[in-house]
Order: sequence, then C-alpha cells, then structure tokens
Amino acid sequence: MKQRTHPLLIAFAVLVFFFLLGPLVIIIGASLSDTSYLTFPPQGLSLRWYENVFEISAFKRTMVISFLLAVGGTALSMLIGIPAAYALARYRVELPRFLGNIYVLPILIPEIVLGFSLMKSLATGLGLPIIAALLIGHALLVLPYCVRVVGASLNSFDFSIEEAAVSLGCPRWKAFFIVVLPNVRAGIIAGFILAFITSLNDVSVSIFLTGPGVSTLPIQLLAHMEQFFDPTIASVSVLLMGVTVAVMAIVERTLGLTFLTK
Amino acid sequence: MTVSLSLENVSAHYGSTKVLDDLSLHVAEGELVSLLGSSGCGKTTTLRLVAGFLEPSGGKIRLGDRDLTRLPAHARNIGLVFQTYALFPHLTVRENVAFGLKQRGVSRAEQRRRAGDIIDRVGLGHLAERHPANLSGGQRQRVALARALVIEPPLLMFDEPLSNLDAKLRVDMRVEIRRLQQANGTTALYVTHDQEEAFSISDRVAIMNAGQIMQLDTPEVLYSRPANAFVADFVGFENMIPMRAISEAGDAVRAEMVGGATLDLPKSQFTVPAQDFILATRPEGLEVTAGGAGIPATLGLRTYLGRAYQYHCETAAGTVKANGPLTQPFAADSAAVLVPRAEQCCLLPQESA
Amino acid sequence: MPPRLRAWALSAPALLLVLLFLGLPVLSTLATTFGDPAGPLAQYATFFESRFRMTVLWRTMEVAIITTSVSLVVGFATAWVVARAPSRLKSLLIIAAVFPLLTGVVVRSFAWLVILGKNGILNNFLMGIGAISEPFSMLYTQGAVIIAMIYLFVPLMILTLVGVLEGIPQDLTDAAASLGAKPAAAFRQVVLPMAVPGLIVGSVLVFTGSFTSYATPQLLGGERQMMMGTFLYQRAMVTFDWVGASTIAAVMVAVTLTTVIVMSKVARRLNPVAG
Repeated sequence: MKQRTHPLLIAFAVLVFFFLLGPLVIIIGASLSDTSYLTFPPQGLSLRWYENVFEISAFKRTMVISFLLAVGGTALSMLIGIPAAYALARYRVELPRFLGNIYVLPILIPEIVLGFSLMKSLATGLGLPIIAALLIGHALLVLPYCVRVVGASLNSFDFSIEEAAVSLGCPRWKAFFIVVLPNVRAGIIAGFILAFITSLNDVSVSIFLTGPGVSTLPIQLLAHMEQFFDPTIASVSVLLMGVTVAVMAIVERTLGLTFLTK
Repeated sequence: MTVSLSLENVSAHYGSTKVLDDLSLHVAEGELVSLLGSSGCGKTTTLRLVAGFLEPSGGKIRLGDRDLTRLPAHARNIGLVFQTYALFPHLTVRENVAFGLKQRGVSRAEQRRRAGDIIDRVGLGHLAERHPANLSGGQRQRVALARALVIEPPLLMFDEPLSNLDAKLRVDMRVEIRRLQQANGTTALYVTHDQEEAFSISDRVAIMNAGQIMQLDTPEVLYSRPANAFVADFVGFENMIPMRAISEAGDAVRAEMVGGATLDLPKSQFTVPAQDFILATRPEGLEVTAGGAGIPATLGLRTYLGRAYQYHCETAAGTVKANGPLTQPFAADSAAVLVPRAEQCCLLPQESA
Repeated sequence: MPPRLRAWALSAPALLLVLLFLGLPVLSTLATTFGDPAGPLAQYATFFESRFRMTVLWRTMEVAIITTSVSLVVGFATAWVVARAPSRLKSLLIIAAVFPLLTGVVVRSFAWLVILGKNGILNNFLMGIGAISEPFSMLYTQGAVIIAMIYLFVPLMILTLVGVLEGIPQDLTDAAASLGAKPAAAFRQVVLPMAVPGLIVGSVLVFTGSFTSYATPQLLGGERQMMMGTFLYQRAMVTFDWVGASTIAAVMVAVTLTTVIVMSKVARRLNPVAG
C-alpha cells in the first residue's frame, strides 16, 4: 500500500491535466461551430467546416503527400535502420562504439538547421526534385527512432537463438528473417509508429524543402493560418488528432500502453 | 532492549482477496522465528504488515508494550533486511549504514563511529567508502545486515535475505545472521521458502499456507512429528498411505489399507488418531524386506542414494518410495514387503477434503 | 564473409545516409560562415556586435530557460502524482499526457492562437466577467510564446519523469522508512538524488527543443518576438541572406551541442549508480 499523496499535489496535477487537454477540447469545439470565425464554445453545431476541408484542394493534396511521405520516409528509414541496429547489437566487438551516436545525429542537430542545410545542398545544390528532397529529409529525421527503438529490442534479444537456428541448418540470412525479426516485432512496430508520427507532424525540416505545388499538411496549415482564421483549421486539426487516436489505438492493441513510459 | 512481538488475529486483504486470515503469532524475547512456506502463502505479507508497509484489515500488532498497528513505518524502529538488500545506490557503504542514525539525529561523529564499528564487525572495514554497485552479492548482504543492526532495533526482520546468493555463501551468511542475532539477543522474524535455512537457524518455525499458520513449533518437532498432512508433505513425508483401524489385536491396533492388507501397530509405539487415518513416512521410514509383516509391494525402479538404495514400489495404495539396504539389492519386479519403522512414521488424522 | 566486413556492410546504408545527407550539408553550412573575405570570424563578429541579433539570442535563451524551469517543476509534481496513482488511473493519465505529445506542434500552437487572440476565448471570458472593458492582444508577446512552449513540453517532461520515478525501486523508499526516515526526509535523501540524472535528461530535452523551435514562435511570437528558429528562417527564405542564416545555424548548433555535452557529463557525474 503506497503512502498517500498530498491532496494539494493531486489538485495541482488535476489542473495540469486540464491545461494539457483543455486546448485540444477547445479546438474540437471550435471546429463544430456554425460561425465563419473561430469561437468557443461553438455557436450552432455544424460539420460544414469539415466539408470545407475537402473542398480546398490544397488540403486534400497535402494530406495525401504527408501520408505518403510519412509512410515512405519511415519505410526507407526502417529498411536501412534495421540492418544498422542489428549490426550494432550483434557485432559489438567488431564495430566502434561511437557508431551508435552517429545514427542519433538527426535529433542532436537542431531540426531547423538540418532543414536549412538540406535545402541548400539537395534542393538548390543538387537540384533534386522537391519530393525526393522531402523523402530524404524525412528518412533522415526519423532514422534515430528506427535505430534506437529497434535497437532496444535487439539488445534484449538472445542471439544464441539465432545460432540455434543456424545449427539446425538454417542459412544465416534466412535465420534473420524467420528468427530475429519476429522476436523484435514489438520494437519495429513501436519504432515505425514513433517515426510515422514524427514525420507526419514535422515542420522544421519540411518548411525549407516544400515548394510550389508540393507541400505537406502542417506547412499548408501554417500557410492557411496566415491568410484565413476560420474553423477550417480547427477541423483539419481535429482530423490530425483522429490520426493520433488511431495510432494510440494501434499501440494499445499491439504493444500495450506501458511501452510509452519506457 | 529485548521485547516480544505479537500478532493478534491479524487479517489482510489485497483488494478483495484475503491474503492473511486471522493470524496470531507470538515471538518471545530474543527468539528467532521463521515464517516458512511457498510463494503466496502470506509470509511476506506478514512481514510487511509488521514493518508498516501494509495496513491490516483487522487485528493488532504489538512490539513489547507498544501497539504498532497504526504507527507509520518510519516510527516503528524495526531493523529490516530486504531480499534485494535495498541499498541506496547513491550512498557509500558508510553512508548507507549511517542512514538510520542520521534519521535519529545522532551527531555526525557518533554516526561515523557507530557505523564504522558495525562495518568492521561484518568484516567490511576496508570497503567503507565504496558504493554498493562495486560490491559483490555477499558484501551487499553484509552492508544490509549492518544497516539494520546499527540502529539497535528491538526487532530484526529478514525477508528472504539469502535468496540472491550462491549456495555456499548462503550457508555462511545464515550462520553469521544467527550469530549476530544471538550475540545481541535481538528478537527476530525471518521469512524464507528454504526449509533447510529455516530449520538450521530458527528457535521455532511457522509453516504457512494460504494465509494461515499450519504448525508452529521447534524445527525438531516439525521434522519428526508434523501435525497434519500439509506439514508432513512439506517436510518430506513423501508416502501417505490411507488406513482404517478395524480391530484391536492384543496391545496393537490392527489397521487395514486399500487392497485388504492389514498391519498391526503396537500401541506402545503408535497413537492412532482416528478410525480413518494416514500413515505418513519418508522413504527411509519404510524398510524393504523380503518377507514378514508389512505392506506387500512390487519393486520397480531402483536408484542409488549413496547411503541406501531407493525403490519405487507398487502397492495396493499406489506408488510409494522405500529404502533398502546396500548389502542386499533387490531385483526389479521382485515382490517384497515394506515394514514401517515406528520412530520415523507419523499417524495423521484423515483430513476432510 | 568475415564478421567485421558483414557488420560494416549492414551499417553502410544508414551511415551513408547520415554522413552524405546530414554530415556534408551541415558541415557545408558551418563552413560558409568562415568564408567571409574580411576574415574567418567576420560573420561572428557581425553577429555578436549586432544589437538586434543579440536581442534575438538572449530572448531565445530566456524563453528556453523559463520554459525548461517551469516544465521541470510542473512536470515533476505531476509525474509524482501519476507514478503513485493506482495502475488503472495511471494508464489513463499516461494516455492523457501522450495524446498531446503525439499531436503535432502546429495543432497545439494553433490552440493557443484561438485562446489568446484578440477575439479569443480568454479575452471573451475576461470581458464577460467584466475584468476588462476592451479586448487586448495577448498574441505576439513573449508571454504567449512561453505559455505555448510550456504547453508543448510539459507532456514530454511528465513522461520522462514518470519513467524516472518508476525506475526508483519501492524497496528503497521502504528501506528508508524502516530506518526511520519520515516521508519528507526519504524524498530529500533518497528519491531526489536518485532522480537527478533523469531530471537533467528531461531538462536538456526541453531546453534544446524550445531553443530550436520554429512553429510556435512563428505563430505566437511573429516578427515582434523573433527567436533563433524564426530568425534563421527569415534570413534564409525572406531576405535570402544564406551566410547570415548559416551563422545563426552555427550559433544554434554550438548552444545545443554544448548544452547536451556539458549536461550529460554532469548527469554522469551525479549518476548514483556509477559510484
């Protein structure tokens, strides 16, 4: 039986959670308002601002781009991040220790510096198409999550299981797919989700790499906000929160929520 | 300062599950009592109740003339050795040991002196400035012991203190614990699941099951005269043969077992507790012989134990284990008779299941 | 294939991605700052002599430090309650902290735009209760940026510190109590020293995050409350002064890397388990 927590402290924590969730509730309320300006509590209930989202082609287009970019960038990052994480965990003696730190550079270097530098080198310097530059930027941005989260799973993986498979006649490459990967599934799912969300919400890298015709949803939102201040933005925000809910539901179903505090 | 510990009709719940059922226990001044049982039997719960980490749902806990029941843990003045040792990783050995003195407002110089003394006594004088991370398991155990002893508590409690040590160290440490406890004359409550450990160092042992004490007695009595089938099974009476007293035959009671075989139990050696009873023995309590009065059996697998051969024997009451002499091994599948040795058998009342 | 070769082969794609697309571009950004004809450090001289640039740097520092301190206190108190809550409630509270964290920066900053704007909720409320007669703009002030930043980073702090507090074994606080430590003493002498490395990690995350943020100061601070991130963007994309922007980038990298390196040294020294 734990000792009781001071009631004042509990009251404070309750206030903090109001502070954390209140603004999100306000957005939901504002998105349902029938007025042409943002207000809370909503005056009159209507879904017309949700309809409006899908009438603005820029939102429709950037939604698709953002989704494809998040999936594509994460997949690319996983494709190269999983072998790297595997090598780090499996070949501790053969690889220098600082190697693990190189993969986390994308979160160590300020994102906005990364975005600016990528713009100069990739978009302007190499003349890469916008979408290619975005894909590389996002793959880079989420690489730390892929390597770290999958790596954490691999670190608790008992590699003698892999050796057992090989001793039973399974080729090494095949043992990786049928023995190692299934056992670090949780890490891969968790890494994928974190990376996906990071990419989907990114502003600082994307803002330098988007250009005419090709933009991401958060950048489009920023641009829209500078010109209009109507409930459409609230509606898009609620749709994005919906994505968060979906992601958390996936986490809950596949991993349980305890992994979030680790 | 030695006092006694008593638990009077203590009950405890986790949510709606009852984990301790009306438990009473008295530990006399200077006595070491062990709570012995498998996990989930309530032994650790009992200890945590006395320590003040749990609140009983009923009953009283007294230490000497103090009523501990509603006292917060930090005001109880009980020395506790944890299974995990629970050493403060950010403090040195000396600081760990001095921690309790510091809470008592003992002066810095006095803290240093008393902590130093006790660290020397547990043989860690040369390691006093180390952090726990740099100690071996046995050394950590000694620090935990020193930390509990230095506050000179009227009651010492041990929660499976040796379960994280290797076998040899376990034996050394339990001797040391017993030596220190006796030297100080401190009352002690010791929780373990290891029967040998409990029996070797305790004045008395309480064997627990499902939140109740099944039997509380000296190790000698528990070992040779278990009071019920649970305790008998726990202390290694592997054979439990159901019997029924059918008649008196002179100065013996004639008992019948499944299959119709009968056995005469001399009244001078056996006390039959009820008409339906159980003959409980260890394998060495049944002697395998070629013929005579006893339980007829067919011998099966034979294993070599060093001091004897052990046979898995088929009887009308099921498989039992019995020992036979080294000088005369029996062949597998041969018929034999199992003769109970009175001094190694117990007659227990048949429990209504 | 020998193991060493196999190890490098598996690592190569990820290494190449980082070195080619992060290492080279960032180094080239840093390199351009030293290429001034007036001397390698001329750009930095300009930066540190310019009143305006220094105002931006100090403002960013100030916002980051206030955000970090408030988040630390608020986050620690909340994490304490969360960590000690019964397990069902605890999962709910953790969900409540994770949800805003996974919701994007733009959405969360936008919420404060709605709350603090001239026709915003707070103004309407204050006028409604008669506290003010005229709506006044709370946007584009340092206070607005700081509130939104705290809002942004408190969940991160809570989650980090719940992990830290749960990592302190219950046995240790039990042991402290059994040795006579009152709850306050046990907190001060056992819990706090054990939590220090985690507190440092959380603070570094929040400090670097708020120091380098872009979207929040852009939306709530605007031109008037320029911070390093928005300043960098403005130099690069509005005035096309890439060398100037690179200098800002270099200062940002220097501040964040120094913070990370120094604080992780401090954390390692204070780590109780290292001994």
